[in-house]
Amino acid sequence: MNTDNSIQADTGSGETFIEVDHFQMCKYNQHSPGDVFLSEKNPADGHTITTLSDGLGSGIKADVLATLTATMATKFIAADIPAKRAAEIIMNTLPVCKDRGISYATFTTVDIEPDATVHILEYDNPPYLLVRQNTAIDPVKEDTEFERKDKNTAPKVKAILHYSTYAAKPGDRLIFFSDGVTQSGMGTPAFPFGWGVENAYTYILDRIRDKLDISARELAHSVVQEACIHDSFLPKDDISCGVVYFRNPRDTLILTGPPLNPKSDEALSGLFKRFAGKKVIAGGTTANIMARELSTKVTVNMDNLDPDIPPYSDMEGTDLVCEGIITLGAVADILESGTTSPLGRDNAATRLVDIFRNSDRIYFVVGTRINEAHQDPNMPEGLEIRRNIVKKISGLLQEKYLKEVHIQYM
Amino acid sequence: MKKIKVTICTGTACFVMGASDLMLLKEKLPDELKNKVDVAGCTCMNECKGDKNGMPPYVKIGDEVMHHANVPDIISRLTELVEGK
Repeated sequence: MNTDNSIQADTGSGETFIEVDHFQMCKYNQHSPGDVFLSEKNPADGHTITTLSDGLGSGIKADVLATLTATMATKFIAADIPAKRAAEIIMNTLPVCKDRGISYATFTTVDIEPDATVHILEYDNPPYLLVRQNTAIDPVKEDTEFERKDKNTAPKVKAILHYSTYAAKPGDRLIFFSDGVTQSGMGTPAFPFGWGVENAYTYILDRIRDKLDISARELAHSVVQEACIHDSFLPKDDISCGVVYFRNPRDTLILTGPPLNPKSDEALSGLFKRFAGKKVIAGGTTANIMARELSTKVTVNMDNLDPDIPPYSDMEGTDLVCEGIITLGAVADILESGTTSPLGRDNAATRLVDIFRNSDRIYFVVGTRINEAHQDPNMPEGLEIRRNIVKKISGLLQEKYLKEVHIQYM
Repeated sequence: MKKIKVTICTGTACFVMGASDLMLLKEKLPDELKNKVDVAGCTCMNECKGDKNGMPPYVKIGDEVMHHANVPDIISRLTELVEGK
């Protein structure tokens, strides 16, 4: 345990976190999206890379094309392969669609270096929008033509790769999307040729001006939902939007499990009290200890009961108090599935997932006192040891949602 | 007449062993008990720790702890208490 009893880094001005999030809706008659996002933070070189690819057609076929494209684009950029060469390899590797006789997928890749230099490569997606604070900036782009080896399976139009680079500042946002966004509403009286890039840009800027600190997650949702409205709630194509936001980090502390040594209870409560950010306690015993140390009470909320997840509680100075292992297990499942709210339920697990997804840096403090009741062979299996479930959640938050996670044991 | 307080433990062991059903107790009370009983939840009562004989789920009726609680047993005990008074 740290001797200074605090776990947060000094968040003086200048600390920036790269929030990457995206949201998408499938074409109304498909189960698989034909647009694919792939995001990763490479621990070795500190690059953050996010790619959006739109595969030809829709459904599984398009999903395969888009997944191949996004994966190749991300890996090639991470390996420093020159952009033009990467584009050629990708386009010449894609499988050919049996019905159309073409092989094709678009991509937009955003590569962010640790010093905040950003490189963006675009092929056939609508152009990205760069917003500094609340003003749009016109990026300078370099265009390169590249060759398709097999002329028969390539679209007839010239293949042009756009490359741009710039130095990101705190408060910058990059918004990129598939043509499901710009073509939404096509054929309707309001938008005979679709919503269009300029209208989409205006909408995005309005959203940002309405809420200056709107998160990447919320902005991506808003754009996709607005496009869906233009399609009268039946998306005519896969609608996808990704946002990169250079922001002030939102911190969350989560305590789970009583400290090994009861003498540490007081120190833990001090750490909890001093933390600046959202606070969660996952575990009834842990909550009781904190309530005792902080001279407050825990009140179980019986109004919104869920058959599978224990009820959450209220406690002064805490954003969420819930049960431990069962709830964390459900949180891991929801994070893994990537859905926002399974079956539209509202319980401790969905609320905790929401808190995690609206955070940037998450600090776990895991108590290691063993609960003998969980070791009883008469209890159902699958009550995973706390450490394992926290590790699983931590892995998901880092790899799938690009959050920063710290775990401390007590 | 003072209402009898029923407290249902919502900790992990209790929840797994059936507390989720117990939490609907208020709805399952017979009419004559409905306005004589207050039902609330609490976080881990610590009954599961150590070498106690009883199994979860645990429910407190007034100050007494019931082990391996279920709705019929709770209603019986509540009826006893109400009639005893």
